[in-house]
Amino acid sequence: MSQQSLTLPAPGAAADKKRRLLELLGAASIAATFIFLVLAQPSDITNGVGSASTLLALGGFLLGAILLILGVLPTLPTSTLVLIPVALVLNIALGQIMGTTGLPFYFDAIGTVLIAVLAGPAAGAATGALSSIIWSFFNPTVLPFAAGAALIGFLAGMAARYGLFRRFYLAPVAGFATGIIAGVVSAPIAAFVFGGTSGAGTGAIVSAFRAMGDTLLAAITKQALISDPMDKAIVFAIAALLVYALPRRATFRFPFVRRFNVLAGKAPVAAS
Amino acid sequence: MTTPVLDARIESFTFHGETAPAVHGIGLAVQAGTLTSVLGGAGSGKSTLGRLLAGWLRSDGQLRGRLSLSGDGIPNGAQRLDFAGTEDDPRISPAAWSRQVGYVPQDAAAMLSRIRSTVAEELAFGLENRGMDRDNMHRRVADVAAQTGLSPLLDRDPGSLSGGELRRLAIACCVILDPVVLMLDDPLSSLDAEGAELILDLITGLVSKGTAVVHLGQVAGRLFSQATHCLVLDGGSVTAQGMPAEVLLSGGLAESGVVVSSEELHHGHYGPEAAAPEPAYGSPAGANRVSPGARTEASSLSFRNVTYSLPIAQGGQRAVLTEVDLDVGPGQIVAITGPNGAGKSTLLRHVNGLLHPDRGEVLVGGAPIRGKSTGAIAADVGLLFQHPRDQLFERTLLREVGFGLDRLFGAEAEVRAIQALEDVGLANVASAHPHDLPASGQRLLALATVLARQPAVIALDEPTVGLDRHGIARLQTALDTVTLRGAAVLVVTHDLAYARTVSQRVLRLRGGRLHEL
Amino acid sequence: MLSRLNPLTTLAACGAAATFTVAASNWPVSVAVAVAALGAGVGAGVLRRVLAASAVILLPLWFSLLVLHGLFFPEGRTVLAGWGPARITVEGLAFALEMGTRTTGCVLVLLLFSFVVNVPDLVATMTTRRIPPQFGYVLASTLTLAPAITEQLARIRQAQEARGLVLGGSLVQRLAAARLQMVPLVLALIQDAAERAHALDARGFNSPGPHSTYREVADTRGQRTFRRAVLGLAAAAVILRLSASWFGVPVLPSPLAGNE
Repeated sequence: MSQQSLTLPAPGAAADKKRRLLELLGAASIAATFIFLVLAQPSDITNGVGSASTLLALGGFLLGAILLILGVLPTLPTSTLVLIPVALVLNIALGQIMGTTGLPFYFDAIGTVLIAVLAGPAAGAATGALSSIIWSFFNPTVLPFAAGAALIGFLAGMAARYGLFRRFYLAPVAGFATGIIAGVVSAPIAAFVFGGTSGAGTGAIVSAFRAMGDTLLAAITKQALISDPMDKAIVFAIAALLVYALPRRATFRFPFVRRFNVLAGKAPVAAS
Repeated sequence: MTTPVLDARIESFTFHGETAPAVHGIGLAVQAGTLTSVLGGAGSGKSTLGRLLAGWLRSDGQLRGRLSLSGDGIPNGAQRLDFAGTEDDPRISPAAWSRQVGYVPQDAAAMLSRIRSTVAEELAFGLENRGMDRDNMHRRVADVAAQTGLSPLLDRDPGSLSGGELRRLAIACCVILDPVVLMLDDPLSSLDAEGAELILDLITGLVSKGTAVVHLGQVAGRLFSQATHCLVLDGGSVTAQGMPAEVLLSGGLAESGVVVSSEELHHGHYGPEAAAPEPAYGSPAGANRVSPGARTEASSLSFRNVTYSLPIAQGGQRAVLTEVDLDVGPGQIVAITGPNGAGKSTLLRHVNGLLHPDRGEVLVGGAPIRGKSTGAIAADVGLLFQHPRDQLFERTLLREVGFGLDRLFGAEAEVRAIQALEDVGLANVASAHPHDLPASGQRLLALATVLARQPAVIALDEPTVGLDRHGIARLQTALDTVTLRGAAVLVVTHDLAYARTVSQRVLRLRGGRLHEL
Repeated sequence: MLSRLNPLTTLAACGAAATFTVAASNWPVSVAVAVAALGAGVGAGVLRRVLAASAVILLPLWFSLLVLHGLFFPEGRTVLAGWGPARITVEGLAFALEMGTRTTGCVLVLLLFSFVVNVPDLVATMTTRRIPPQFGYVLASTLTLAPAITEQLARIRQAQEARGLVLGGSLVQRLAAARLQMVPLVLALIQDAAERAHALDARGFNSPGPHSTYREVADTRGQRTFRRAVLGLAAAAVILRLSASWFGVPVLPSPLAGNE
């Protein structure tokens, strides 16, 4: 029987370089796709179906999401990894429920934001992307939104890192800002891949802008700017409430929470 | 004496964000092929100690002390790790450590990956992760399954196993990695006699094969009496240790929350069902009719001819309750026992309308509850569930107990809440988070939330599971208080000994009918 | 029949069919793919589940597309009827048809994969392909967790009702009740997850190096060739479409042959 060392080596940076590269490539792929879509082909969609833009939108965003997952997932500690399925089920369950109400909200990111607050931006981004990919097992139409979901997780993690979850009233503000960015990034997907949105509430808003003569992308972007910030503000607030309800022993298990004092006022300064 | 395979000296271990150490000043050395018993009441630190030694708490807090392992599988034959509570401390590799020291938590289901579709694959999970080739893996799985009595279950879905089977699978998942030290956290809790017997045989077999088994528990029962060395923990440190006979007489054990069961020690029978004499059954016709003498004119809770069946596959029905009659008067305690799966919890769920009888009627305070919502019935009936965690949702104990009280008592609400916490002995931790309490504390807290509303009927599902001696005493005091006040109490328990102590009237649920014992 | 194939074969076939549908973006092709997916669903005995799952997704989508583009399509020229700002145009209806059929084809073919694939086989295959085991864990765990969480939520609801929580009533009351149910659910899930993490680590889940599999998943030379062929076909369709759009190479005017 082989004699394994009983201890782990001190955390080193050597093996992480490749992972970092994958993360950067993933982010770059998402950013480049978005810029290309917005700058190069804004009017393409309604003159014919514009399958080239669809392919680009799908390919670029999905590739980015997959690179992010491959880069982040193996570096996550198991304690964070096991939370991801929990987050996914919360996302999917609440998202499905909200989808049936007809309100112009999604509520499909509570789990993602929860992970981001506890484990940081990288874990949040991976959770968001994975959430879309695994949800697509039951609903393939969410697959193209993987990049947007990753962005939400990343931004929620950044908000937590810079202290926006220390006070309850700051969380919805961070959510509002995240919603603006996420909405603008996701709108091209709705426009180029689906030619619209599938919810009754969101559909009505898009129709109103179209009736005023907007292009499809513009109408969907405006709709996203109405729905997403509100939606994310609520989602961030709910996530904050849930995190505040957690016992200290549960939250302090996460190094990210301890290191950046994510939930200040909830606990005495922990000796590291 | 040979060198111990595991020699630990814990100066202190403190969870992150807390100031007081969870365990401190504990020395434990275990020899190959022996059974060691670590006893302690709720919150005594025994589980924390087990996790600590198994390397499960690497990132949860600060450890000061040392852990030494020695044996053939250890690099250089022996290794000593020193922890000073700083960043430079050695970081235990969980995968390598678990081949030396295995730990099976009390909640056996937590041991499973839950991503494998058969028992065989679940067992193989730990081998897969080491990259063992498939042929060796199949052989090893077959060997360990035979050793743990899982061979007939290998193709089953792990989610479909019974409590005892699940416990054996969790132990097997550890054993398959061939650890030198195996720590079992309360391995017999909530098992019936048959299930417990299988686990005891398994433990005896492991010890005779040279494994050092450490039992962590809060009942001084058969495993304790078979141990070569015992430790009693209280408040996170050792209060007594030595041979079982010495420890049994020690003051440390007497003061701790450990439940000492003389029956179990002397007869060598674990499990209350096994110790109970077989009841003599009356004639079938009269058996389900509980003696009319017990029925008072003004029963607080009555079942009239209650029949309930569950739909099963192919459109069939399985009768769970058949023509059950039951009366509990004010100030009376009635206990119902029966083996696992007899339908005790089903009966209890009829008390507050969570389930409705197919035929017959349930009356509370003389009025039928049919048609009322559970939330409304709750004003008169308090029901305490098996999993108290599901009932708790507030940030502090006080808020938890005070929830909804203002609507009942107005300005008096807070006084009532504090009183209820005092009744169960938790007033000193009123501002703690409910989920930071040990399982027994959560059960008592859930009890307090029921007591504070002062319902006329109180129904308790397995109230003693997970409670230590202090907890059982507090439960008893609380029940005495409420019956004195005139509340009717219905207790459902698999523990016949407890049923007899708590109540003058014990009924047995068997075949869907109630029999007087 | 389909479920006995190697999961990678089913994945490649369905993925390629979806890619092909998007690249073609031609409603007769989309309809053909949808019909083929339904046919395969009949063969695999999963038609009813595919239809049920897709109806939930596709009916709102079609409704939304028809209302949106059928009534409000400012680019439309051929007006069939109009009421103020709302005009039914041929171009709008054609666009809705094109988009709707394309999504329908993709959704059906991907759902077919979901219902046909054997998840344990898929996870085992991914492990042998050196895909991080974490991905397989998240996939398999999510699928087993979903029913468990539903059960747990029902238990929590019962426990809280027994404490006097009245469910129902106004929206505000229902939201407040939902919050009270969410808290113990999330707490329990996070605590169980922490426990499971320790167990997984102890069982070597995070160890580096190759992981092996107990489960053996059959694969054949024929399936390997088939996978390469369909993926090549899908790639060719994408390249053709992109070059057509950028360099003005004419795209085949008629629908391409089916993907089978």
